[in-house]
Amino acid sequence: MSTPDETSPRDLAAAYALGALSAEEARAFESYLATSPEARQEVAELRETAALLALSAPEAQPDPGLRARVLDAVAAGKVRPLPAPPATVPSWPAARRPSPLVWGALAAALLAAVGLGVRSARLADELAQRDSTIAQQTRTLAEQGRQLAARDSTLESVLSPGVELVQLTASGDPDPRIQLFWDRQHNTALLRASKLKPVPPGRTYQLWFIKDGKPVPSVTFNVAPAGDAVISQVSVPAEGQVSAAAVTEEPAGGSPQPTTPVLLVGALPKT
Amino acid sequence: MTPLAACGTVGPRIRLGVACGLAFARLRDRFLHPWLMPNPGPVSSAPADRDLVAQAAAGDERAIGQLYDRYATVLYTVAYRISGQRADAEEVVIESFAQAWRDAARFEPGRGSVAGWLTMIARSRALDLVRARSRRERITQTAAADRPDAPLAMGAWRGDPADALDRTERGRQVRAALDDLSPPQRQAIELAFFEGLSQSEIAARLNEPLGTVKTRVRLGMQKLRTALRPFFFEQSP
Repeated sequence: MSTPDETSPRDLAAAYALGALSAEEARAFESYLATSPEARQEVAELRETAALLALSAPEAQPDPGLRARVLDAVAAGKVRPLPAPPATVPSWPAARRPSPLVWGALAAALLAAVGLGVRSARLADELAQRDSTIAQQTRTLAEQGRQLAARDSTLESVLSPGVELVQLTASGDPDPRIQLFWDRQHNTALLRASKLKPVPPGRTYQLWFIKDGKPVPSVTFNVAPAGDAVISQVSVPAEGQVSAAAVTEEPAGGSPQPTTPVLLVGALPKT
Repeated sequence: MTPLAACGTVGPRIRLGVACGLAFARLRDRFLHPWLMPNPGPVSSAPADRDLVAQAAAGDERAIGQLYDRYATVLYTVAYRISGQRADAEEVVIESFAQAWRDAARFEPGRGSVAGWLTMIARSRALDLVRARSRRERITQTAAADRPDAPLAMGAWRGDPADALDRTERGRQVRAALDDLSPPQRQAIELAFFEGLSQSEIAARLNEPLGTVKTRVRLGMQKLRTALRPFFFEQSP
């Protein structure tokens, strides 16, 4: 029943799918394949057929530990250091490798080199990581030291003899609230705000001292999202009769005269 | 585990002709109780093979783990059949999945199923390894007797029972289809697939005319294709 074959290149489809063409024949067949969608469909089916032949062998079970080795190899390949095989026929059998021994030796050498490279790259990464952690911790320590020093100085200015506490409130409500620790001797004050609503962009809070019945502009400040702020070394007018302190909301940068109603106010004790 | 319980984990892969799948579909259609099938449920839960390949191409190595769970046994079986050595077969499986990982972005669904792709990668790698070994032996003149290892311990593998059922059924069908070929057709096809011989090499080995070998390969494969089409790993659209 030998029908004369080789009348059509398509007759080679089965051998091609089975990997039974010489490299030269396979190349020739592939150029034909590029021109014929029907032949490509046929080859696809014949490949599926060929792949099923694997199941005609007695089933063999891999060792359960093999899965981890596969995933390790994949993780190692994640660097993708090796150029992948040619794109034309990525994985289907066709071309014979010219010299498996040479390829094997090359692959082994490459793998070893890549392994070393990966290992030293990992070590370098680890070192860099540690350096950066140490630097971060040093920065954190310095920052904490600075915060402690600031707190100390705040405490000192609050606790030094002769410091009087002035409470600024909105018609006597406990919140929001500003405390002025007024050091009458040095004409300075420390301002501590709590539970103030943050102002919109382009606006600011401004502190005023009422001297001889007239508002004198002092510092401007904004509060953290939680509504807190601490301003140290606020100058208090030395001359004249300072009777009260007040806070208004002003355009950013502050105003020479209040432009909005007073939000918080408190009286300063008389001398 | 009963066959129906095993069906509970059946994925979306098409498993035509698999007794389990058919029985399950029949049962599902006939007794569609809410408590039996609360939602489209288990049938559509597992990702399709080609989605896993796409995930691997996107750099997700867990996808390779899932493909391993589905097809490691198939790859190992063909690698062991070709190499006859457990250690070699393991090496082949590792290299095959590593290659699948590297080449995932180049996988073309139009060229066939993921399972077929993986199987053919493993076959190629195994043949490469055997050729390298025989060349090495020729060079060193040792001609060491590489006998297949002792029979394999079975049952250590914890795969999806539905996959195992699939594999067993497919294997039965493939062996039956091979039995239906003329012995010379079968011999030519097996020499090509498992020993990696070209048609010319087969002709030389069997001392037959090349044209005769070509005809056997062509007609045998056509016959296999017709018989096995319902059992392809994936059906063409």
